[in-house]
Parts: sequence; structure tokens; C-alpha cells
Amino acid sequence: MSGERRGHALVGIAVVASLVLVGVYLAAGGASYAPAKTADPCKHRPWGNPEGLEQIAQQFTLSALNGAACQLGVSREELAQALASDEAREKFADRYDISEEEIAKAVRAGLLRAVNDAEKAGALSPLVAGPIRDTIRSVPLDEVFQLLESARSLLNSAEGFLGPAQDFLEEFLP
Amino acid sequence: MSEAEGFAVSEPRRPGMTALAVAVGLVLADSSVVVLALPEIYRDLDTSVAGVTWVLVSFNIVMACAAVPAAHLARRAGPGRAAAIGLAVFAGACLACGASSELSTLIAARCIQALGGATAVTAVLELLPATVGSERRAVSIWAIAGATGAALGPAVGGLLTELVSWQSIFLLQVPVAILAGIPILAVARHEAATGVIESELRKTGRPHVLANIALAMISAAIAAALFLLVLLLIEGWRLTPIGAAIVVSVMPLAALLGSRLEPAVPSSRARAAAGAILVAGGLGGLALLPKAEVVLTIPPQILVGIGLALVLSALTETALLGRAPQAIHGGWTISARHAGVAIGLLILTPVFTSDIATQREDAIDAATAVVLDSKVAPVEKIALAQRIEDRLAEEKGKVPTIGPAFEPLPEDPEERAAVLQLKSDLQDQLDRGATHAFSPSFGIAALLGLLALVPIGFARKLDL
Repeated sequence: MSGERRGHALVGIAVVASLVLVGVYLAAGGASYAPAKTADPCKHRPWGNPEGLEQIAQQFTLSALNGAACQLGVSREELAQALASDEAREKFADRYDISEEEIAKAVRAGLLRAVNDAEKAGALSPLVAGPIRDTIRSVPLDEVFQLLESARSLLNSAEGFLGPAQDFLEEFLP
Repeated sequence: MSEAEGFAVSEPRRPGMTALAVAVGLVLADSSVVVLALPEIYRDLDTSVAGVTWVLVSFNIVMACAAVPAAHLARRAGPGRAAAIGLAVFAGACLACGASSELSTLIAARCIQALGGATAVTAVLELLPATVGSERRAVSIWAIAGATGAALGPAVGGLLTELVSWQSIFLLQVPVAILAGIPILAVARHEAATGVIESELRKTGRPHVLANIALAMISAAIAAALFLLVLLLIEGWRLTPIGAAIVVSVMPLAALLGSRLEPAVPSSRARAAAGAILVAGGLGGLALLPKAEVVLTIPPQILVGIGLALVLSALTETALLGRAPQAIHGGWTISARHAGVAIGLLILTPVFTSDIATQREDAIDAATAVVLDSKVAPVEKIALAQRIEDRLAEEKGKVPTIGPAFEPLPEDPEERAAVLQLKSDLQDQLDRGATHAFSPSFGIAALLGLLALVPIGFARKLDL
């Protein structure tokens, strides 16, 4: 093979090797290997089959978080991080220019959505859901702030976030 | 180099080829030797990613600016004297680098190191033909010594960083520079007794512009490959410097393989084009890593390694052969290569630092989702979330090692399985974030490699 032909062959091999590598990595999902996108909090998420008060409490919290995040126009994950500490909440409020009152209103909206979701999932009977809704609507905003203050312990026990609805729930658990 | 072309040497004393090659390899290794030490320097000197990049960038900028003036100095003062002084300055600056406790002092010392290094490397190219007997062989040895130094640099630097400290990388260079300089001193003393033919000093041909532009572009791409890959391995995937050194050793090994192809293909233009395509292809592969696994970096590294051996030697040959004086044209190639490295790092650093910040947020959101949706019991989940948050705070914004946050594991088998699943899912999201953060930068570097094809393509018609 002449020198020129060998040169052309070398360039050809280089092109093929490069295309094969890039093609194989693309086919293996290289273009989409990134952190998972956060889900739209406004979309309904099925509850599954929670067993026991602890799991119902957890689902309830997640629904409340989704509802509040939907109301604020942020992701559920960002809101969860914001509720982790006072400092995180202040940063969050500064970043999105959201007042504490708006956050409190959003948490209230979230709790109402959680009650709706629980009712849809059959975890709460309509008889209980109504009074809980009324209770949530009647909770003053500053008490919602107190709820936020104890956000870190929300999942520690159902009591922490269900508050006045706790007794009703225990009575009417499926 | 004949007597009539440059420095007048009545009875030339010839330093050994090994000493000259070691001097070139040592200096040119310095553009990459600290790559694996950067994460350690970053932590030790408590600086930012952008700040620590200047440990590399400053050296390359000064090398780029000083190489051609240093080559003129070597011809005016005498290559022996210039090489000896250059190596002495280089050794002194190495000592200062090793003694630095602040980033500013380290960067200043790196600049002086580059000044001395540029003087020594260009002067050595003027000394080599007399030692090895032919200009072609001298160019070949000079290019191989430089490429070997640059290729071995990261592995040696990584080993020293882990076994001793990042400072040892610089301190160890002091005796090596002195040992390489001793045989050159004899030439320097001989030159002191002779003079310079002033009229001959002005005879310098024009540099090969296209070959040097292509060298700059390809060097930018290669520097990015090395620098970004090391950061990904150590900072993103949490490998130790020794582990990363072993992984990135694939590139110089592949380069050795690539250099064997040279005699088979006489056309330097074909070798340069094939090399640039392989470098771009390898970088494209690194931009599209489908998983955070070390083994997946090997095929791209093989392409980059073979590519760099082909393209660097072909372009250096094109830029140097048949052009006199060698020191000046060698200076132009050094200048082009280091300017390329500096430009590549300056272009890519803001891109990947911004991408790291974005990906970090996305990874934390994704990790939060994983924690929220996990089957771990709520009480355990809160405790875990707190410990993971603490790990994030401890690591000051870097990708955390989350393993300790999951210790001790719950005793209940069901709960234990749920926790282990959560750990694996979390690690996956962090790995995705760390890997994806580097993708755009590798992509830009691949584009730089492809752009080098433009001057290589024009080089056939235009011989500047």
C-alpha cells in the first residue's frame, strides 16, 4: 500500500473508531445520564397501600408537601429542603421572593390536598375528612408557622403534623 | 546547528543526550504534573476550583509568552548558558513552590518556574543537534522527551501526592534539575569564552503559522481531557490520587502505541488529521459516559492517547523541520502548545464550575426525591436525612461520600434492605450529577479537537 493510501486508511480508521465509540455510548444512554428530573408537584400521585398509622402519616406529609409546592410553583424537593431549617427557609423565601405568610398559606393548601388524597385513597372516610378540612381551614396562619417550626419532626410521629386530626384518624383508620 | 547560523562555538563541549532529554521532560512535565495534586492543593490551601486552576493556567500562560523571547535569549547568550541559568531558575522556583503555604505564593512561584523552564527547553533544542548528530533526530528526541514528560507527569504527581504530599512533587524536581544542569554547565563555561555573530542572529525564518495554530487547538483539547478527567475521577467519583493516576495512565500507554504507527504513515498531514479526529472522538466519548464507571473511561482514553501521539508529533515535525534556527521555532511550538493549554483551561473552567453548581442542585433535588419516596421507615428516614445533610455540610459543597451516613445499618432485615436500596439510589443520583456536570466541558473540548482539522486541512495548500 502506498504512503498516501496508508494515510487515507489511517484517517478512515480514526473516523470509524470515533463514530463507533460515540454511537455505542449514545446507545447505552450517555445523553440522558443525568440526575432524575423532579416530578410536577401539581400532578396527582397515587398513595399506594399504606399500612398502619406511620405509613399513612408519611403519605399524608408527602401529599401536603406536593400541595404546598404546587401552590408556590416550586418542586416538592426544594420545599422539603427549605423546611429542613430556619436558615434554609429564609434562603428559600429570599430566592423566590416569597413571604412567610405565603409559605404558611401554601402549607395550609398542602394539608387540604393531603386530606383530599387520603380520602381518595380510602385512608380517610368522608365523615372524617370534612371535619379535618374545617379544622385546617380554621387554623390561624401563625399556628401554621408553628407547624413549620416543628417541620423537622413532622415525620417523627403522626401526632406531629396531624395535630387535631390525630384522634379522628386513629378512630377511623381502615 | 552550524557555527555560522548562530552561536559561535570553537570546540563544542557536548552534554549527554540523557541530561538534555531529562531537562526537557522535567520542564514539560510541569504543565501536567500537578493535575492530580490539584484536588489536594484545593483542600490544603482552602481555595476554589477556579482559583486552583490558576496553578496550571499561570504556568502555561508564562510558558506561552516566554518561550519565543527565551529562545532569542538562548541564541544571544549562548544555549549552554541559557539552559544552565534556565534550569537554575527552574530549580529555585520548584523549591519556592514546595514551600508555598498560600495560593498566591504558589502561583507566583509557578510563573518563575515557567520562565526558567521556557529558557531551558528552547536552549536545549539548540544544543541537541550537536549532541545527537542530526537535526531530524534532535527534533524527534526533543518532541518525544517533552511528550513523555507531559504524559508521565500526572501519574508521577498522583503517586507523590498520595504517598508523600503535593509539595513533594516540586521538591523532588530540585535535585533532578540540578543533576540535568551539571553537564550543561560545561558548555556554558565554554561559551563564556566565545562571542556571538550578531548578523547571523537576525536570520530567523517565519514560524509555520497553521501548524502552530493546530498545535494550540489540539493542546487545549488534550489539556481539557486530562484536567477534566482527573477532576471527575477524584472529585466526582471519589477515587484516590493513586487510583486516578492508574486510570489516567491509560492515555500515555495508548500514546506509546500511537507513536508506533508513525513510521507506517509518512504523511504528517494524514497523521495530524487522524490524531485530531481520534482526540475529538475520545473526548466525545467522555462527554457521553453512560455510567459512572472507571472502565468506561478506558476506550475514550485509548482514542485520545493514540490521537495525541499522532497529532503532536506530526504537527511539531511540520513546524520545525527545515526551519532555522531550531530554538526559535521550537519556542513557537512550545508557545502554541502552552497557549492552547491555558486557553482551553480558561474557556472550560467557568463552564464546568457553573455546571458543577447546577448539577449539584439537581443531584440534591433528585436525592431528596429518593429519600422522600424511599420505603425506609419515617423515623429512620429523618435520622438518615439529617446525617446526609451533615455529610453535605462537612464536604463543603463537594460530592459527599455518603457511606458513613448509613452506618450503623438497621438490624431488621426488611428495614436493612430498604436502607441499602436508598443508599444505592442516592449514590446513583450523586454519580449522575457529578458525571453529567463534566459532559458539556468534554463536549467543548471535543469541538476544539475537531476545529484543529481546519488549519490541518489548509496546511496542504498553504505552507506559511
